[in-house]
Amino acid sequence: MIHSIIKRDGRVVLYDQNKIAAAILKAMEVSGEGNAADAARVANDVQLELEKHLTTEAPHIEMIQDAVEQQLMNHGFNSAAKAYILYRANRTRAREANTSLMKTIDEITNIDARISDMKRDNANIDGNTAMGSMLQIGAAGAKAYNEMYLLRPEHAKAYREGDIHIHDFDFYSLTTTCCQIDILKLFHGGFSTGHGYLREPQSIQSYAALAAIAIQSNQNDQHGGQSIPNFDYAMAEGVAKTYRKSFTRRLREVVEDYLDLEDETEAIADIVARVEAATGEFARLESSKVYLDGIIDALMSKYAMSSEIAAKLVDRASKRSFKKTNGDTKQAMEGFVHNLNTMHSRAGAQTPFSSINYGTDTTPEGRMAIRNILLALEAGLGHGETCIFPIHIFKVKEGVNYNETDPNYDLFRLSMRVSAKRLFPNYTFLDSPFNLQYYVPGRPETEVATMGCRTRVMGNTYDPSRQIAYGRGNLSFTSINLPRIAIESKGDEKAFYKRLEEMLELVAQQMLDRFEIQASKHTYNFPFLMGQGVWLDSDNLSVDDDLREVLKHGTLSIGFIGLAETLTALYGQHHGQNEDMQKKGLEIIGFMRNYCDNKSKALQMNITLLGTPAEGLSGRFIRMDKKRYGKIPGVTDREYYTNSFHIPVWHPISVYDKIRLEAPYHALCNAGHISYVELDGDVARNVEAFEAVVRCMHDHGIGYGSINHPVDRDPVCGYVGIIGDVCPRCGRREGEQIDPEKAAQLKKMYPEMPAFQGIE
Amino acid sequence: MTVKTASEKMGQGVGFERIRRITGYLVGTMDKWNDAKRAEERDRVKHALKTDA
Repeated sequence: MIHSIIKRDGRVVLYDQNKIAAAILKAMEVSGEGNAADAARVANDVQLELEKHLTTEAPHIEMIQDAVEQQLMNHGFNSAAKAYILYRANRTRAREANTSLMKTIDEITNIDARISDMKRDNANIDGNTAMGSMLQIGAAGAKAYNEMYLLRPEHAKAYREGDIHIHDFDFYSLTTTCCQIDILKLFHGGFSTGHGYLREPQSIQSYAALAAIAIQSNQNDQHGGQSIPNFDYAMAEGVAKTYRKSFTRRLREVVEDYLDLEDETEAIADIVARVEAATGEFARLESSKVYLDGIIDALMSKYAMSSEIAAKLVDRASKRSFKKTNGDTKQAMEGFVHNLNTMHSRAGAQTPFSSINYGTDTTPEGRMAIRNILLALEAGLGHGETCIFPIHIFKVKEGVNYNETDPNYDLFRLSMRVSAKRLFPNYTFLDSPFNLQYYVPGRPETEVATMGCRTRVMGNTYDPSRQIAYGRGNLSFTSINLPRIAIESKGDEKAFYKRLEEMLELVAQQMLDRFEIQASKHTYNFPFLMGQGVWLDSDNLSVDDDLREVLKHGTLSIGFIGLAETLTALYGQHHGQNEDMQKKGLEIIGFMRNYCDNKSKALQMNITLLGTPAEGLSGRFIRMDKKRYGKIPGVTDREYYTNSFHIPVWHPISVYDKIRLEAPYHALCNAGHISYVELDGDVARNVEAFEAVVRCMHDHGIGYGSINHPVDRDPVCGYVGIIGDVCPRCGRREGEQIDPEKAAQLKKMYPEMPAFQGIE
Repeated sequence: MTVKTASEKMGQGVGFERIRRITGYLVGTMDKWNDAKRAEERDRVKHALKTDA
């Protein structure tokens, strides 16, 4: 007789045959065969069977379940047996997921981020802080749930085993990746952050402050980055407003001073209003002659002064306004950069992940904004630290800033001086054919802008009349473990392409499943992104509308990692070693792009190809592949797979060749791409050499590129530059103290030095 | 302002900050990087301006 059973956690409980019968009946109901009497009969036989083999006093729960499976089959209830087995397997997976979830949370709670690699998966989240840990715990819970309940089993398996990587998987059921925010549209008429309403800004300071707030607000609606595609065009409007107000005020001051009058506020306001009405113009950095003449005439008749005097006063007011506006713009840009490096979002765990694009506005106001944002970036933060955010992206365009005779060439030069010191700006090249095809002069929304990490959204299969950057972004992306497909194909090219196509199909299906979840969300789920009309066409939605149609302006992107290792696994060499391999590499990536284009056409949606920005992913695939296949030279023998289509970072190659070889992949990866060049610090600080590299990128059709060089800082003496073992300014080695007298001397020579460690 | 005593431990135990580009963006000091990205950064070689003849 069985009196008790042993549960999984070791507890002993009373045996109850009814419970067994109930479980069997459930399986029968699911499979549509058998009834309660059948269930009771099977349960009875289960007990007899158990008693026959019973050696210990109480049977283990697993033994009972084995017996149930056996007896269901013996009685001919094959479908019910299948249903029961599936249920058991699912329960096991759920239990394992729970255990691993608890282990993960345990690690997040108890282990220092400096030791826990998992907690440094994304360098932008501080895993040691309370809010950072809470964010990571939430992410771990969401991932466990999403895998159990939202993924098809084949997608869950591919993800779990490292055939694919579903990015931002913790947000699978919640939101989309990113958006290019047209802040001018947002500002006009004012906007709500979701927590309060802000009126339309009226000065450059408020333009800059509200731009930062817009970025912060959006960061809470999406899981990726926030970018402003038209930073210069937008700030120009703020500069113009500041100048216009300032001019009226300075004009009043100079008139009052010259004529020794008490208060001419009303009179001057009246003059300005009348001239504005008559000429249709207003005061700007370079005011029109008709406007200035109008003011001069009005001053002459109002104050009975000569035209020379009136002109002199107007000139003085203009100069003072210029100075004031430039000063305000400088402060506004510095404030903006400081804000974006210090403000918190996502429950305080992250600084907003922000990018700004600029460089092509040639108006005096736009130029003033560009110059000052570059100077703010160059100056750095309070102690001269390099700003991490926002990512600055300088848009390069022939006829605008690329050639010496172009109106913004001086700003292009300035940008390179700054990038040589601060690593930003990066460069996006509007003349590359795949970008130029969208460019319409005078329509900034047709200028390709990038999300700083590299995401690019431009073409629009869903709505070809809207091939613009503004109000659009990526919805989700999933990356393929390309080297594994190559390893599995064992040098068989045909097998490789067959596997690759299957994998592309699997990823596309998985992203479409995810899209279904995203599409069923409502405007009210995104109070800022959709509620404020930031996303393209969302201003036509009412609060309860679902997002299916407007989201189709976004992209679903298939990413990849490790082209270099893929080529080595398939053919023995990578594309940096051999021109034939370059051809093979372009064939592979071309094949993937072709798949995306066909899929886009078939679905009337934007399926695009991405050179994945691998951060967390760089080590994930290779760790699993090393376990599976061992150390394969040139393939799995390092700690990371090479980023997207890059030539491996360890491969010696010239700047020219690296750019020449990587550029054709930019044309293929329409969801985003980036190329880096690593320069020696001294070379990078030579602006001529720096410019030669940027021009080389432009001329080879790179889409988005940046130049890496070491930027070190000694927090003790504040030196920024290259530091080997010894700081060139104060002479200390890492961790060493310096003599206070020497420190005092240095402080005299470098007044911008930070307050020393040890003095608060 | 509190000033610590004489033979000041000015800078003792303070490391250098090394800022590098991680993907498209920068990360202030590398101690927040994951192990794989650290290894990748370590392996980066400089690119020569001139093509080797």
